[in-house]
Amino acid sequence: MDWLEEELKQALARKEPDPGFDARVQRRVSRRPAAPRWLAAAAAVLVIAGGGAIYRRHQGEQAKQQVMLAMKIAGSKLNEAQARIQAIGERQ
Amino acid sequence: MKLIVAGCALAAVLFAQQFKFNLDHLAKKSSDTVDLSLDANLIQLGAAFLNTKDPDQAKAKKLVAGLQGLYIKSFEFKRDGEYSPADLDQIRAQLKAPEWARMVNVSNSEDRESVEVWVRTENGKMSGVAILAAEPRNLTVVNLVGSIELSSLSDLGGNFGIPKIPKKK
Repeated sequence: MDWLEEELKQALARKEPDPGFDARVQRRVSRRPAAPRWLAAAAAVLVIAGGGAIYRRHQGEQAKQQVMLAMKIAGSKLNEAQARIQAIGERQ
Repeated sequence: MKLIVAGCALAAVLFAQQFKFNLDHLAKKSSDTVDLSLDANLIQLGAAFLNTKDPDQAKAKKLVAGLQGLYIKSFEFKRDGEYSPADLDQIRAQLKAPEWARMVNVSNSEDRESVEVWVRTENGKMSGVAILAAEPRNLTVVNLVGSIELSSLSDLGGNFGIPKIPKKK
């Protein structure tokens, strides 16, 4: 057998934890203080407010683009009319 | 319930819009369609996001300040004759005196192009503008609702990359 394969087999071999490992983990978990409820509520409010602000900004940017496009279209058509009037005036 | 909501929304649009476009049937035939429908709230929201440091945006902000509605339908076609004169006639029929008056009507029978500018007045004050622009492969209808000064309208020229036409003295 290849030495590398042997090394890997040993390194990855299943090992049983020390006795009392489970109890130690349980103890440590129970010692950890639970996050207060107000913190969870505040986080939720922040997420909702942030999401609302992002959505509002997106809506605003969209409205801005539409306003600019509308101005471009209306402006170009008015200029067309002006150009034609001017061309007729020049011909006369 | 959905029907009532849709009905209310449609009524709100028609109430703000000063005439009906009735051009939805052209959307299927067109290669490009622009359909803009902005009420006062959306215009205000959009204006709030315009950057006044940018000259184009500053001009647009000034222009839309007195507007309560902005409605545009523009169709680009791949072939001639996709819309009929009747499509424009049904709009013209709604632009009735004494409120509406046609200020400008320029047409070129050779190129089959025309631009009409209609102005609506209420109590001696301008309250709306309609623009009907027709080319063989392009049809654009605009309704600007609100108080718009003529000087502001002509100020549109020279901005947004549109060349300004010099006024003759």
